[in-house]
Amino acid sequence: MTGQTPAGTDEAPAKKPHDDIAVITPDPALAAVERVADEAVEPVPSALQRLVRSSSIWTAGVLALFIIVFSILMPTSFASADNATTILSNASILLVLAVGMTFVIITSGIDLSVGAVLVLSAVVAGQQMAKVGESGTAVVVTALVVAVAVGLFVGAVNGVLVAYAKVPPLIVTLGMLGIALGTARILTKGIDVRTSAMENIDTPQGAVFGIRLIVLIALGVLIVGGVLLHLTRFGRYTYAIGSNAEAARRSGVNVQLHLVKIYALSGLLAGFAGFLSLAKFGTSGLSGHESDSLGAIAAVVLGGTSLFGGIGTIVGTLIGVFIPAILANGFVLLDIQAYWQQVAVGVVLVAAVWFDQYKRRSRNRS
Amino acid sequence: MKRRLAVAIGVPALLLAATACGAGESSSTADGKEKITLILGQAGEPFYISMDCGAKQAAKDLKVDLDTQGPTAFDATLQNPIIDTVVQKKPGAILIAPNDDKASVNPLKAAQDKGIKTILVDTIVGDESIGLSRISSDNEAGGVAAAQELAKQIGDKGSVLFIGTKPGVSSVDARQRGFEKEIKNHSGIKLLPAQFSNNELAKANQVVTDTLTANKDLAGIFAANLTTADGAAAGLKSTGKQGQVKIVGFDAGPQQVKQLTDGSVQALVVQKPYDMGYKGVEFALKAIKGETVEKQVATDFVVATKENVSTPEISKYLYKESC
Repeated sequence: MTGQTPAGTDEAPAKKPHDDIAVITPDPALAAVERVADEAVEPVPSALQRLVRSSSIWTAGVLALFIIVFSILMPTSFASADNATTILSNASILLVLAVGMTFVIITSGIDLSVGAVLVLSAVVAGQQMAKVGESGTAVVVTALVVAVAVGLFVGAVNGVLVAYAKVPPLIVTLGMLGIALGTARILTKGIDVRTSAMENIDTPQGAVFGIRLIVLIALGVLIVGGVLLHLTRFGRYTYAIGSNAEAARRSGVNVQLHLVKIYALSGLLAGFAGFLSLAKFGTSGLSGHESDSLGAIAAVVLGGTSLFGGIGTIVGTLIGVFIPAILANGFVLLDIQAYWQQVAVGVVLVAAVWFDQYKRRSRNRS
Repeated sequence: MKRRLAVAIGVPALLLAATACGAGESSSTADGKEKITLILGQAGEPFYISMDCGAKQAAKDLKVDLDTQGPTAFDATLQNPIIDTVVQKKPGAILIAPNDDKASVNPLKAAQDKGIKTILVDTIVGDESIGLSRISSDNEAGGVAAAQELAKQIGDKGSVLFIGTKPGVSSVDARQRGFEKEIKNHSGIKLLPAQFSNNELAKANQVVTDTLTANKDLAGIFAANLTTADGAAAGLKSTGKQGQVKIVGFDAGPQQVKQLTDGSVQALVVQKPYDMGYKGVEFALKAIKGETVEKQVATDFVVATKENVSTPEISKYLYKESC
């Protein structure tokens, strides 16, 4: 295809210096095909149109519906500021995991290891903390640095395996889940590490402007993640790789290195979540995080991020995290057995993805 | 398209409405019944199911509105969010088997600060100010009884192993204390370092097989709770050593009773969770009414062996899998 001007441009082929050489003109048949293709492309939708189309608007609608139904059923217990604090505080850790997961899924990858990395980071941080002292800033800083470092390292290993060894992300992160959780149990001989040095992260005493510290931290992570995803080149490359990795590579993006960074980011946030969990609960929670990875994936997908890559927003993830959080809270308040929550979240997840697929197909057909 | 949209939103909403039917909020004074919530240590474990049965019976007898919640694993990271949410319901009282003697303190403190009466059943927390009453087995005496039974079974010589769940679970810690104290009185018995199962079958199983490999003179094991005893007996069976190495377990769920009758386990120290649940609701109602309750109540236990397990005095204490 070299030597031909792109269809649709107004420039005439450049005048050749030697008139005895045949001038190349666009193939009329090809031009006709390209004209039809042009007409099929939709005009760029306005911001409002894009907002209405996006899946997260519908998820927000479902979320609003749940909130309304629960508030009507339980006006004093569900719809209270205190309960809102409870919901936010218990959703904070999942939110941090989901921010990292958003980036991964946008690249059409997946990270099943985040729950295990959380536990491993909490374990190592807890053990190192005990060596430094009982309480105080040095202890907290040690925990934070260690937890984040462990998460970053494991995430980077995931990324290298996905990007350079070309092992599918599902397999890499599934294997890493076993490795991380197993290592955590080896290090602790199967018994939780316990610490009480950082309690103010989730108490009224530690609150700033009346909001629990852990909630502010999680929202901070969300905002940083949002800026990174939507306003930086790093974010744009992420979308590009998810849309079409080969095209991104040809455009000069170092896809492999970027993927390593993406998984490292997911691991880093899982490590940070481990620090937060250790701070909030005072225990490493070896058996308490089995469903965290799937919970994060469900939250991200509910928020409108496509598992096939290239599409997703941080705001969507925020909305998506609230659906399981509100369901869990509302069901306990309504005295419904815990197991129904799992059913409900599963139903909502499948319905949301099916609905998203349906909209995509109908948009492509029109 | 609009129809499908309605279905996509309507289905989960209807599901929600269906499960919510009959539930919903009513203030305790509106229909006269006090509201009490029981938070189990772990949902689905026969010990806690029996406790729930006792509590439900008391709720029926005393005409209180009882509801039950419990985490899917014995882990404070799962139980604490449940406590936080139950507090929002503002029941008159919470009955709880806390998962961790330190980590469970903060949410329970928040509950007490809101005026919710808190009663601890089975496990306790380290903070003395939590819990108007603590109803549990005399776990230390249970450990002593287990040691005496095990010593008898192994002929007072050999090595013995204690397997607990995890440190920080008050009930199991007390059993360990009692066991180790009593074993010291038996000079022919050597006590191996304690091991833990994290309340997981697979881990208990593995602890047993590993210990057998490392200690050829292992004569007896005390597995200090239901899940641990279950896994330990399975571990013995898998190495073919059942009957040769004696096990005394704690708790008598259906699986353990089976192990008792088929000879994989020699004796079970049986608690009375049904009584704990029943008394818990009694005390909770009293506390709501402003009456004083006993600060500490110790329920006792019986020792079940293959010989006596089918007698009515013993069989009525065996744990249930449903009420």
